[in-house]
Amino acid sequence: MNYSDIDVAVIGSGPAGMAAAIKAKEEGAEHVLILERQEQLGGLLHQCVHNGFGLFYFGQDLTGPEYGHRFAEKVKDLGIQVLLETMVTRISADRQITAVNNREGVLCLMPRSLVLAMGCRERSRGQLNLPGTRPAGIFTAGTAQRFVNVEGWIPGKKVVILGSGDIGMIMARRLTLEGAEVKAVVEILPYIGGLTRNEVQCLHDFHIPLLLEHTITETHGQQRLEAVTIAKVNKDKKPVNGSHQMIECDTLLLSVGLIPENELSRMAGVALDPLTGGPGVDQWRETSVSGIFAGGNVVHVHDLVDEVSWEAEIAGTSAARFAKKEELEKEKKILKPGRNIRYVVPQTISAQHDVTLYARVKDMEENVTLKMGDIFSKSLRVVKPGEMLKIDLSRSQLRQLKDDAVELSIEGAKRRQ
Amino acid sequence: MAQMETEVLIIGGGVLGAAVARELSRYKVDAILVEKEADFGWGSTKTNMCIVCQGGDTLEFRPEYRRSKLVWDSMPLMEPLCQELDVPFKKVGELALIRNNEELSKFQKLKSRAEKLGLGGHQFIDQDTLRQMEPNVTREAIGALYDPHIAIVDPVRLTIALIENASQNGVNVMRETQVVRISQEVNQFKVETNRGSVMCRFIVNAAGTSVDKIARLVNSDDFVLYPIRGYVGILDKNLGGFIKHEIHMRPDAPGQMNILTPSVHGNLFFGTTMQPGVRGDCSVKGRIAEIGFQNARKIVPDLSERDIIHSFAGFLMFRNWEVGWHECVVQASQKVPRFISICIGYPGVSAAPAAAHEVTDLLRREGLKLETDESFSPFRKASPVFNELPEEQQKELIAKNPRYGHAVCRCETVSEGEIVEAMRHGATTLDGVKFRTRAGMGRCQGGFCTPRVVKILARELGLSEEKITKKGRESRLLLHKSKELIEAQI
Repeated sequence: MNYSDIDVAVIGSGPAGMAAAIKAKEEGAEHVLILERQEQLGGLLHQCVHNGFGLFYFGQDLTGPEYGHRFAEKVKDLGIQVLLETMVTRISADRQITAVNNREGVLCLMPRSLVLAMGCRERSRGQLNLPGTRPAGIFTAGTAQRFVNVEGWIPGKKVVILGSGDIGMIMARRLTLEGAEVKAVVEILPYIGGLTRNEVQCLHDFHIPLLLEHTITETHGQQRLEAVTIAKVNKDKKPVNGSHQMIECDTLLLSVGLIPENELSRMAGVALDPLTGGPGVDQWRETSVSGIFAGGNVVHVHDLVDEVSWEAEIAGTSAARFAKKEELEKEKKILKPGRNIRYVVPQTISAQHDVTLYARVKDMEENVTLKMGDIFSKSLRVVKPGEMLKIDLSRSQLRQLKDDAVELSIEGAKRRQ
Repeated sequence: MAQMETEVLIIGGGVLGAAVARELSRYKVDAILVEKEADFGWGSTKTNMCIVCQGGDTLEFRPEYRRSKLVWDSMPLMEPLCQELDVPFKKVGELALIRNNEELSKFQKLKSRAEKLGLGGHQFIDQDTLRQMEPNVTREAIGALYDPHIAIVDPVRLTIALIENASQNGVNVMRETQVVRISQEVNQFKVETNRGSVMCRFIVNAAGTSVDKIARLVNSDDFVLYPIRGYVGILDKNLGGFIKHEIHMRPDAPGQMNILTPSVHGNLFFGTTMQPGVRGDCSVKGRIAEIGFQNARKIVPDLSERDIIHSFAGFLMFRNWEVGWHECVVQASQKVPRFISICIGYPGVSAAPAAAHEVTDLLRREGLKLETDESFSPFRKASPVFNELPEEQQKELIAKNPRYGHAVCRCETVSEGEIVEAMRHGATTLDGVKFRTRAGMGRCQGGFCTPRVVKILARELGLSEEKITKKGRESRLLLHKSKELIEAQI
């Protein structure tokens, strides 16, 4: 295979990586290469056998593998080079990639530009600092999803799920359909972590108990999990005395948050935004390192796959333009998260182009106004951390920006207790 | 195994049992080592801060204690041992932080005692030097006492290396073999296990937290031990280099030990809160975990809870006040001839080399003939760690065995080749692979590699994935086949 003269290299082939590679090719990059560590294109889409993919991108309700297949076909048709079962072990600030596989051994690549599309990983039990024993039977929801949907194994029969992230709720339904008993989905916050549509379709429709403002205070069992103790929590998220109860179960799934996977980005010296866990990017999705772009869940964790692909397309297009030595507009205005805003992406924009901003709130609030300086204001009935805000701004609106920094904030709220 | 015969039976495959086995393999002695778990070093050996060459670091090591002598005698032995066995050993040195005059006087006492013992090299350093050595430590520290001896190892790897070397030199090692009964016959013991019985003349009881239980089987429990539970947290490798020395601070409350240290694999460890516990209850208590982290923050204020990737609890066996809280057990039974018990408690790993000599001496005194075995080789070679090799060697390895080019664990970049090699050396479980290769020890804690490792284990063992366990016995990971539960309902 020919690995010289690469215009755009993309790390990862999930809904972000494939979308970025396709757009880079369509933008005129001649030699586009995807590096994927698994045996096939698609990343985590393979284990997402449920529907709800592509409602916006394709206007159709697809499963994860179907959604991935459409992109994979296009990757093939466009003649994009693909290296499977290849793990990138290192990238440098001058875009040198070191990768290993069992055919070519250790590879060293020098693409003209690079797109980071490594996606995200699940928060683990260790990061939760979850008290109790360390038996078998505790999995992240995504690991369990792979066992059930790809490998054909059911981890256990009596299941408790901690956290109400989307994968957790989807696995609650999946395991119920497989004949397991999901005894409870336990969420420490007063509202769910994932999408409302998943609460309705995965929990309510299957009569799975959702315990809000509860947490797990201990796991029991030395060899295999035997039970968990749950408790109600107060406003400070501390367990309330006397509210403890034990639930017998053989399996505990964790769906307690996703973290953008940026080990490689760090190696290249890409500056990360502590608020998103991903690289800080401008509207072209270029990172702090020239020629390294990023898109999808590696930048920030999205709610919908459609948004992941769209964002990565921006990165792919920009990477192709960079490879062709086209100038990317670099005037920078800084976007700052204001009241009740956890983060905004992109972190910097140019005022010369239309742009779409993505933001997430810290807390749930009702009857609020989303404001951006003096140039944008919109009333919203409700905002939730589990549902991303999307703000389209036109060039003419942005031209009214006077300062170099502008704040995005949620105003006029009565905080829900 | 129906019935076996041997001269010496070692009960327990932790660091002490392993060190004794390896020491005995220098001689023409017939020995068997039995371990009840699916792999070696899974008791107190694995649940600690991985620090060795202690002894000059706290005043609790009083000269009159046996334990202190074993730790001091082991200091010069540890590094050469690790070299012979090809296991990582790193001399990091300790900085004991000083915040006020009261602490200073404690450390002055410690320093003068260390000098008297010939453990020289301790020195006081001022605030500026401390800042240069460790820019991230608390501003509260006005200086520190530097102890150059303190080093770090991987105690489980050390144990496995000792076992492998003992085994190369003729010791028969057996896992998942639990002693259930011991009866005394004329000049020998009959030791019954879950897998048959062993006739032996000598017993070395190195059963860790069960050492008194085993002694009771021959009515020789002439010592009392109390389990003390310690808590340790592990921080992400991203913080590697954040501190370079083992840093110790005097605790503000009793029952706490306040330590932050790098590990040989690049993580940081913090801990440990010590409190009496119920033996075998290795659960982490929420409140204790909180205190542990607060304490770590007293040493380095900038630590973030987000960087904790794992935490665990473990047991150390302490003796009672009568003989000294910090005393250990290394003794031949008063009542039963040829029965030797050994339990160091904290710090067992540090004391292991000298303790093994001591046990060998005790065996000799009890009548074991020790004739040097000329064929003994002290060397053992570790399996290649792909991630740590230079690129040229990585290429060679993949050319020879393409499985080294298949990365299975992304966080620690562990290849299929290493996992298969670990299995060839005895890993049969998910945790066995983890401790031998580090697959699953990274920041995602096995979220990515668990299904992949399970598949490799099943394939290499020729078993269904349903049979694969986390850590042996009843710890199966996957309880049902897809559709099995629904079909049962219909």
